[in-house]
Amino acid sequence: MNGNNPSANTAIPLPLQAVLAPIGRVAHTVAEHAGEIAILLWSVGRAYTEFRVSGREIARQVYIMGVQSIPIVMVTAGLAGIVTSQQGGYQFTGSIPLYVMGSVVTESVVLEMGPVLTAIVLVGRVGARITAELGTMKVSEQIDALYSVGRDPVEMLAAPKILAGIIALPLLVGIANLFGILAGMYTAQLTMGLGYESFFYGARLFWHSWDLLYSILKAVAFGFAIPTIAIHMGLRTGGGAAGVGLQTTQSVMFMTLTILIIDAMFPPLFL
Amino acid sequence: MIEYKGVYKAFDEPVLSGVDLLVESGEMFALFGPSGTGKSVLLKTTLALIVPDMGDVCIDGQSAYYGGRGTLEQIREKVGYVFQYAALFDSLNVFENIRMGLPKSTLTRMTEKEVAHKAWEALELVNLEPRLILSKLPDELSGGMKKRVGIARAIVGRPEILLWDEPTTGLDPVNTAAVERLITQLSEELQVTSLLVTHDVEGGLEMCDRVAMLEGGRLRFCGTPEEFKDSDDPVVQAFQDRAAAYAALDVLDVR
Repeated sequence: MNGNNPSANTAIPLPLQAVLAPIGRVAHTVAEHAGEIAILLWSVGRAYTEFRVSGREIARQVYIMGVQSIPIVMVTAGLAGIVTSQQGGYQFTGSIPLYVMGSVVTESVVLEMGPVLTAIVLVGRVGARITAELGTMKVSEQIDALYSVGRDPVEMLAAPKILAGIIALPLLVGIANLFGILAGMYTAQLTMGLGYESFFYGARLFWHSWDLLYSILKAVAFGFAIPTIAIHMGLRTGGGAAGVGLQTTQSVMFMTLTILIIDAMFPPLFL
Repeated sequence: MIEYKGVYKAFDEPVLSGVDLLVESGEMFALFGPSGTGKSVLLKTTLALIVPDMGDVCIDGQSAYYGGRGTLEQIREKVGYVFQYAALFDSLNVFENIRMGLPKSTLTRMTEKEVAHKAWEALELVNLEPRLILSKLPDELSGGMKKRVGIARAIVGRPEILLWDEPTTGLDPVNTAAVERLITQLSEELQVTSLLVTHDVEGGLEMCDRVAMLEGGRLRFCGTPEEFKDSDDPVVQAFQDRAAAYAALDVLDVR
């Protein structure tokens, strides 16, 4: 009577199947995404090498992703600097010299908070928007319409955004680092009476010139990952308005997870 | 000439199960069938908007799938596609939308004035007043106007073949009749081969030289409108009866 149930005829016991089936499904989904992203990146690479990507569109995207994100990035980084400085002050006052605060704030902001918080902000401000925009274009047949008139959506929509992300993120992280440190320094002066010179003395004491490059390298990785995932998720949208909503939510989740995974991989690789 | 050779496509379940169909040059051809029988999927395989799992589509003898990237680009340049819901690029205005319909190779040889003239001409052909709508965004247009702009984008490059995907869906009977007149008029004026996917059986039979019916992913009927009306195939007859009943409901709804 189990003729219609394929699992009944296999040699694998049912309890083991119950464990293996979800693993197989996850592996299948991961492989599917990886394959599609590889194809997308191959097409993007070809568009660059064949000089088919519009410089004007890249500049427009840098403006949208970068320049328009400056205010929110400044606020986020400033608040991160203020919080770090206050927490450091709470922990260190009376135990170690206060000028160490300069190093704590600077290193925390440059190595971690500047790049990661900027990337998280960009996931919401830019990544979600890209997925929703491309998803809507997909379900309303605008992507098909581009193909039908002989235009390549990868060349027109994907390639400029990925390069713009790689350009804009390091610039934004530079601004975030600067504002985070300045806000932390000002807060340390206000709350602990730590002078600017002492702050800078502490900052210089434990500073490695590699730290800034490390921060920028992270920004480049995030700047590549955010638009790539957002575009990939947008282009595989289906199922109307509900599909766009679902895909955008999933995209934000994947982008955030990817950023945190890349962030966790950086110290063992580069520090 | 459009030739579908054993086109097979499955999305979990087979949608097209080996369709063979030939649309002759200069012909106006309608494709009927109940919803979900793969009419639009078949139309989309013509320009590789959906890639079949098996089979091939040839345009004037050129294979869309085995002829390389250059061939597909050439095919896309000679085919205009009218989408079911117009599929206008919503971030571009009417002029920019129509401009996109010109092949890239043609655009590089044209001045902006020539492009504007072409767009103007295309809008006039679909009975729209260019002066009033060229700078409007798709959101500012009515459903019927969007359809016409979509048609203008498809014809601006003077294609040899026009593919129409449910061009009258969502329109009231007055606009439906106007779009049908437009389809006939354009097909004659531009002397193109037209393949029309439609639910409007009455309109399709009136306009087209030949018709076909898809059922369950297979070609159930192919012949002249007269042969279709006189067909003794019970499936074809049942489909015609259902279509006539829906058309009557539509008319009652408007009254």
